[in-house]
This record gives sequence, C-alpha cells and structure tokens, in this order.
Amino acid sequence: MPFKTFAAFVGPSIFMMLLFIAFPLASVFSQSFHVTQPVYEIVEVETCTPGFLTQTCITEEKSVPKLDENGELIKIRRFVGLQSYANVLELGRAKEALATGSWQAFQNIDFWKALRFTLTFTLITLPLVLGVGLLIALVINNASARVRGPVIFVSLLPFIITPVIGALSINWLFRGDGILTATLEWWLARDIAMFAQAWTIEILMMLYRVWHVAPFAAIVFYAGLQTVNQDSLESAVIDGASRWQRLRYVVIPHLMPLIVFVTMIHLMDSYRVFEEVVGFSSQGHVISLQWLTYDFLIPDQAGNRSISRASASAMLTMIGIVLLLIAPLRRTWREHKGGH
Amino acid sequence: MKLKHLLLAGVASLLGTGAMACSFENTVPLKSLSAGFEAWKVVTDAMAECGNFEASLDQEFKEKQPAAFAANPSLYHIGGVANATLIPLLNEGTIRPLDDLIAKYGAGIKPNQMIKIDGKTYAIAMMVNAQHLMYREDILNDLGIAAPTTYAEMMAAADKIKAAGVVDYPIGGTFKTGWNLAEEFVNNFLGEGGEFFGEGNMPNINNAQGMAALEVMKALTAYMDPEYLVSDSTYVQQQFQQGKIAMANLWASRAGAMNDAAESQVVGKVTMAAAPMGSAAPASSLWWDGIVIAANITDEEAEAAFKVAMEGLKPDVIAANNDAAVWLVDGFTAGPLAAGAAATAAAGARPYPASGPMGIMHTALGNGIAAYLNGDKDAATTLADIEAAYTTAAKEAGLVK
Amino acid sequence: MSAKSMQPSFGLKLASGSFLAFWCLVAAFPIFWILVMSFKSPVDAFNESALSVIFGPSTLATGKGVSALDILLLIGIVWLTAWITTKRLPNLVRSYAPAGAQAIGWGIGVLALAVMFLVLMLGVAPWITSSLGPSLGPLGRDIIGFTTEHYTTVWVDRGFSRNFQNSLLVTAGVVTISLTVGTLAGYGLARSGSNLAFWILIVALVFRALPPSVLVAGYLPVVINSAEWLAPLLGENAPTLYGKPWTVIAVLVAINQPFTIWMLRSFFQNIPAELDEAARVDGCSHFQAFRRVIMPVMWPGVITTGLFSFLLGYNDFLVTSLLLDAQNQTMVPAIAGMFNMETTTTDQVVAVAAAVSITAPLFLLVMVFQRQIVSGLTAGAVKG
Repeated sequence: MPFKTFAAFVGPSIFMMLLFIAFPLASVFSQSFHVTQPVYEIVEVETCTPGFLTQTCITEEKSVPKLDENGELIKIRRFVGLQSYANVLELGRAKEALATGSWQAFQNIDFWKALRFTLTFTLITLPLVLGVGLLIALVINNASARVRGPVIFVSLLPFIITPVIGALSINWLFRGDGILTATLEWWLARDIAMFAQAWTIEILMMLYRVWHVAPFAAIVFYAGLQTVNQDSLESAVIDGASRWQRLRYVVIPHLMPLIVFVTMIHLMDSYRVFEEVVGFSSQGHVISLQWLTYDFLIPDQAGNRSISRASASAMLTMIGIVLLLIAPLRRTWREHKGGH
Repeated sequence: MKLKHLLLAGVASLLGTGAMACSFENTVPLKSLSAGFEAWKVVTDAMAECGNFEASLDQEFKEKQPAAFAANPSLYHIGGVANATLIPLLNEGTIRPLDDLIAKYGAGIKPNQMIKIDGKTYAIAMMVNAQHLMYREDILNDLGIAAPTTYAEMMAAADKIKAAGVVDYPIGGTFKTGWNLAEEFVNNFLGEGGEFFGEGNMPNINNAQGMAALEVMKALTAYMDPEYLVSDSTYVQQQFQQGKIAMANLWASRAGAMNDAAESQVVGKVTMAAAPMGSAAPASSLWWDGIVIAANITDEEAEAAFKVAMEGLKPDVIAANNDAAVWLVDGFTAGPLAAGAAATAAAGARPYPASGPMGIMHTALGNGIAAYLNGDKDAATTLADIEAAYTTAAKEAGLVK
Repeated sequence: MSAKSMQPSFGLKLASGSFLAFWCLVAAFPIFWILVMSFKSPVDAFNESALSVIFGPSTLATGKGVSALDILLLIGIVWLTAWITTKRLPNLVRSYAPAGAQAIGWGIGVLALAVMFLVLMLGVAPWITSSLGPSLGPLGRDIIGFTTEHYTTVWVDRGFSRNFQNSLLVTAGVVTISLTVGTLAGYGLARSGSNLAFWILIVALVFRALPPSVLVAGYLPVVINSAEWLAPLLGENAPTLYGKPWTVIAVLVAINQPFTIWMLRSFFQNIPAELDEAARVDGCSHFQAFRRVIMPVMWPGVITTGLFSFLLGYNDFLVTSLLLDAQNQTMVPAIAGMFNMETTTTDQVVAVAAAVSITAPLFLLVMVFQRQIVSGLTAGAVKG
C-alpha cells in the first residue's frame, strides 16, 4: 500500500492520539524536569472567622502569592533536573534502610511500598487470571449446548459491570459486618475484620481483580477454542495422548497468541491498579504506583498540588510497564517480520 | 393510588414554593458550584426559586473551583466554600470583596457571618460545623456513668461499657486514612495547644503536643472496630444508628441523622455534648461553610448573584430546614442537636487554621499517621517522616525556601 | 474414530459441572445482592444478617412488601423477556430488517423489548395483583419486604433520567467515532507491512500504558480556559469546552484508540488480503476496495470491538467526573456523587438503586450481543 493511502487510512486515528495523548505526554515529560511556583511574600493578615455566636479574629503572618497588575498569579518555572525523580524515589533513604537490612524501614518509603504492592499484585493476579480464565473456557466448551448460552451470559457479568460499582458491591459484602464477613464469622466461629490488616485487604483486592478480569480471559479463550483443529485433536487421541497431554501439546499452543494478548492487556491494566485502592480505601495499609501519582496530582484543600512529582511518578510508572511488556512485544515483532 | 400520591406531592411542593418563593424575578443567567451535602442542597434549591439559576453540587468542586473561577469570564458566579477551600480563591484573587453589596442588599447579615480578611469581607458564612462528643445517654445512664468531658474519662467509660457487654466497640472514630484521619490529629493537636508552623512555614509538629495527640489517637483505637482505618463519617454515623457504638467525636452536621426514624434504631437516645477537652482546648476545630462571588464577572452579574444568594439564606428557608445544619443565619433555632457544637465553641475550640501550608500539612498527616497506628513506626519517626514529607511538598510549592 | 474416546468420564463431568455452578454463583452473587439491597429500607439493606436483608422485616413493617403471586409474576416477566431477547429477537431482526440496516433493526427491536418489559412490569403486573391478590388468600399476602421507593427517588426526585440521556449521548458518540476512526486505521495497519506500521502500534501500546489520571488532569485547565485561548482563532464565538459532552467523547475516543486499532488490526489480518487485492485488480482504489469488499465482512469484529468501546464510554468515571459539569453529568459520576463524604444511609441505598439501574442496560446489551461477541472474537478480533 503506498504511503499516501496508508497515511489517509491511519491519519485520523494518529491525529487524535497525538492531540490527546502524545501532546499531554510531552508536557508531563517536561513538567517532570521543572517546577512551577507562585512567588510568595510574607505579610501580616487579619482574618476573622465565625464562631458559634461571636467572631474570632486572628492577626498572623501569612505567605501570600504575588499578583501582577492584571490580577493574575505570577508564576515562575524553574529547571530542576532530576530533583523531582529523586524526591519520588528517595534513594538515599532507601539505601540507608537496605544497609541496615531493615525491610520494614524500606517499606515505609512510599514509592518502594507502592512498587512492592504493584508488582505483587500484577504478578500474582496474572497467572490466576490466565488459569481461571482458561478453566472457565474449557468447562464451558465441554458443557452441553443448552447451558452454554446462559453460562456465558452469567460469566460476562463481572466483566461488564461498572468498575466503581463492582468494587463497592464487594466492599459491602465484606466491610464491617458485611454479609460475607458475617457468614465467615459464623462458620469459623471467630471475629473477623477483613479491612483491619494489610494482607486480608490485599487478598480481597486481588480476588476482586481476578473476578473482574477472568471473564474477559475466559471469553477470549473460549473463542479461541472454537477454532482448535479437530483433526489434530483426534490424531492425538489415536496416539494415546491423555486429556492433559492433549491440552498441553495441542490446545495451549493453539491458544498461545491469545494468551500473549491477554497477558499484555492484563500486565498493562494491573500495573496501573488504582480503582481497588480507592474502592477498598486501602491507603492506610497498601498503596499502588498509580495511586501515588494520583495523590501527588490532586490538589489538597488549599489548592496546592505536586505536579512535578506526579509527572515524575507517572514517567516512572510508564517505564515500569514498558519493561514488563518487552517480552511479549518481542514476539509481536517476530510475527510482524515473519508475516510479510 | 400512585397518581393520588403524585398529585399530593405536587400540591405540597407548590405550597412549599409558595411559602418560600423568591422575592424578585431574576433575569441574569447565574450558575453556582459547591459541595453536595444537604445544607447546600437546601440553599441552592431556594436560590433556584428566583429563576435563571443552575446549581452544580459537585463532589469534585475542590478540584474544579480554582480553575473555573480563574477563567475569564468565570464559569460560575456563586461559589460554596469552607475555611480551607477559600484559600486558593483568595490567593489567586478570583473572588471579589462583598462590602458594597452587603451595604446595599445584605441588611440581614450578622457581623458573625462575615469572613473578613484585612477588614474586607470576602465570604458570607452560612453554617458552622465541628466535631463534638455524641453519646448514648441510655447506655451511660444504665451503667451510672457521668457524661465524659475528656478522652481519659471517655476511655474509662468505654472500659465499663465493654465490661458490661453492652456493645463490642464502645467508641467510634472518623479515622479513615487521608483527610479524616488528619482532621482527628488536627483536633487533638489543637486541643493540646500546638502550633503547626514555626518561622518561614517550617513544620512544628514533632514535639510534645504532637506526641500527645498521636498517643491519644492510638489509645482510642483499642476501643474501636478494628477496621477504623476505613471508617469515615458516614460509617461512624451508621454504626451509631445501628446501635453498635456508644460514643464518638462526630461532626455536628451528622447529629440530625441520629433521630431519623427511617434509618436509625436509636432515635432520641443520642445526646450531644462538647468535644473532649485536651490540655489546652477542646479536641475539635471550628469549620464554616459559606458563599463567595466570582471576581471575573460583570458588576451586574455580581449584583444579581448576591441578591439570589441572599434569597437562599432567607430566615424562612433556614427555619424550614432547621436540623440540616448548625446555621449562622437568622431563622435558626438552636435545639438539642446543636447543643454539642455550641458547647464546643463556648469551651474555646479554635478555628481550623486554614492556610496554604496547612493544606500540604493536612495531606502529609493523612498519609503518614496510619503507619503509627498500624505499629509500623514509632511516634517520633512518624512525626519526623510527616515533617519531611511536608517539607518536600512545601519546597515544590515554593512555600518553604 | 469414535467420539467416545473424547467423551469425558463421569468424575470429570461432575467436577466440571460443579466448578461451573460455583463460578456462576461467584460471578452473579454480588450483583444479585445489590439488586436485593436496592428494594429494602435502609435499616434492612445494611443489616448484618443475610436473612434480614432478603426478607426485609422492617421494610415489611412499614407496609411495603410483595406476595408470592407478585414474585411468580416477576419471575415470569423476566424469563419471558430473556427468552424473547435470546431466542426470538435475532430471527425477527434478520427477517424484517433490510440487509443494510441490521443495526437499526436491532435498535428498534431492543427498544420495543424494553417498552414491553416496562409495560408488563409497571402496568400489567400491578393490575393483576391488585385484582387477583385479595381472592387468593395466603398467596396474595405480603411475605417479603420490598419497596421501589428508592427507584422513584433516583429517577423522579434526583432526575437520573437526565444523567441517563447524557450517558447515552456520550456512549453513542464514543462508539461511533471510535469505530469509524479505528476501522480505517486498523485496516491500514493490517495491510501495510512497513516498519512504520509496527512502530505506530508499539507507540500506541505505550500510550495505552500511561496512567490516565495524569493525562486527564492536564486537560482540565486547558478545557476550562478554552474560550480564552481559542479566541484568536474563533473570535467571539470561541466555546468553553468544559462541560461539553463532545469534549468528553473526543477524549475517550483518543484514550480508547490504541486498544481499538490493536483489535481491529488483528481482525483485518485474518481477512485474506487476496479479497481486496482481487478488487483492486478490477480497478478499485484502496478506499473502494475497503468499502465494497471489506465492509460487508467486517461486522463481527467491529461489533466485538464496539462492545469494548461501549463499556469504556459507559463505565468511565475519571474523565466524565472531571470534565463535565452538573448539567451534563453522566450516570457513573452521579452515582459516585451520591456516595460522597456527606451521605446518609438512605442516600447510600438510593445510590444502590441507581447502581442497579445503570447495570440493567448492560445486562440487556450482553444478552442481545452475546453470540456476536463470541463469533467476533472467534473470527480473530484478538490475536497477539
């Protein structure tokens, strides 16, 4: 296909991505090396605020930003090099903690705490999603045609439900004396508080993610199973291959491209784990990298936000994902070269 | 049957609007942006009676307000703010002084309602809010316990309640990691008489008062549901309503819910009292919510906006929604539900020390304290780490050299 | 070769059957549970005993409940709707809709079905119970606490229908534009063997890896101030982009592009290139070949990809909550607003009812398109 035609086909898509993703990305990249600050001056201010019946007036020194003659905030932008990255990574503290051999002290540093959880979360849920998804797909495929439709429908529910609502509904089931916690308590005859310690929350978050994503994997694998070559399955049976061997040597190789696809999507999505942290309000115990970025980014009640650190943390998150994706991507590259 | 209900509701609402109808016909299109809680709903509904008015009750208002008011022309005319959310608008000069408008149209405004910065009024407060003690009077009376006035007494009472086996977790607390947890620290730190900042906005919490505040908080958690780090005001309120807790230092705006028969099982049993005393002041801080008018709009728009806002704060609107908040406006009758807030203010509770640096400090506290309550860090390390986190963020914001 | 040796043993059948039953329970339970909660008074809905939540004694005490007759009717209506959707609707659409207008046929069919469901639920069923109920004795007596007042609050008092319309507008916009732009790009990428095509894909993938909150926060000031910076270009009429559904649609389409072009590219790769090459030999340009040859066979892949776009647009919270004002708010941020800091228990149950309302259209959608999703995926919409 000539380049001009190619450009015409791809153009609109590229334009939208450039405008709404690449352009903001460039600004995030540049922000991560700069800080932008208002110029403050210290002035004495009298502030009067209401009490219940009478007013309290306090005179104190306050930092007030300067405005220019148009009434606009004066802001200066300064190049700070890797300072924001250093502030996020806190390498000095990390080194010190590791030197004393204290894992606990190391895990008290936000970035490393978030990285630890994000990686654990990603690497534990990945095999679970693939395994559970494959299992559901195989079982549905072997089920009789009459139940297949309804079962696929029910299986898809966790995937289509609005994530905010899915997390909340799981939350209600376990929070406080939620219905499932109460059932567990009755069954084990002991008091259980699922949100009181880090490990139970982590398990809940992972279970939620597997519940939410496994149907996607299942439906993709189920579609793949429809195109398994029946001849090679049958010849495997003739060769005396057991059920497990057929799965191992015929079905899984056939599904391999799909497994890579699901793996890639899942790595990207779970490395950006965020909804779970908010949905389960786990900040007191565990945080994730994207939550950390978000926390830098949202303004506090007085309107300050740490844009530079948020940008640095976002860039670090992106680098992390790219590293994770190199292995599956090399496969795509080989295919791309081989396919043409 | 259904139709009849609808008709009745329709008639009732017509009658309602008849009683509160706006005194003038507004012709200037106006918009407001505020938080979404009940009091704002009451006030903006009354403003809408004047016509040509659209209210945004937005939970993201904190994030949108500074940018929306900085646009020229401003996207909103009226803003709803509190102590802290006033700061960014004030700093960026995007709200206007109201003194001339008050002189013209604000005859009903009490001096107590005017938020003055260097003598100029920038906001009209409509309500106050503070955390104060709520307790189950029936339980305490049964066990012969006097109403606690300090945290020590509160914990002694909790011991007795626990021993008597009335409830599993006698104390509730808004200890959810983040804003709520930080607010509890602020309350206790102010109660101990602490000052958050020293010279040049340097942090000043790693001291005896900070330690005392942290220790009280940790001691309290022993009497709480172990999931305290996820319990916000709504959850504590629910625990009260379901009869699971006996005492809590909870927001005055939540008092009304205790007597809401539709959701509460403890109607009439919860009493409001002053916040527990710290060594210097009650462990509470006074908040206000109020109205500001944008700077980047025409004077006619500002005048219309102010007039409409005043219609929202009319005495009959307030009287009709007396229990929705602790109002500062004429028309409010302080009943037993407001007793706690009044007693807390009378005992000398300090206003929340809102400022730019305090915004950063609040966030740092909210993120840092959980590690101490979890037992991951000791008190001194926790406070030192929070100060370090504050300093990093304040340097980035340009507040600390 | 006998099919017998491929038949599973009884033990395996039992194991896989019970696993399937278990999975269905796990998949459906949370959703079933919020459905139950949404019909109870606040005291019952957040009760710690499962039985209280199901039977709703305090809801019943206020005189709101359903009888066995009501329950039977309800089950009947739901079953009927499900049956028509899955069994009859596809045939009806196929036989009545003209070949080119299948999508419109589906739209009309689904709409008619929804109207029928509402008429049965709100018109026929109450009529039957009120006329038959008293004469049936115990069958007609209320046994389970049940109230629809939260739904009335959501849809009537809170004006949720406006949020619903906004959601529809945003979702429809996202799906249409995303598919139009994405199909072209996916086809171009699939038919180009150049390294540029590969690198575009890789870069798109990296774009997808970006934390969206960072991008979105960057849009906010730009979008709010658009009247100022667009003024030199458009003069007086420069619009404020903040709060406009079109802004949100554009942003969501862009965020979703990487995924869309990846899926559609692999789908087009599975359509033999000989097809359009033959058309080109006959003198068609690339665009003509695309329109005449590819478009008729691309629907399975497009429907599947479209479903993912639909989910993204319909379920999005981050972009819609930040870039839309109250007048144009969609359903998800509206619900999140009901859960915000200053809510009461009643508000929470109202929010649960809203959450069920927002899930219902998704239900219907999957019921209708389930077969198409699977066939689209089978035809290769996903492949490494």
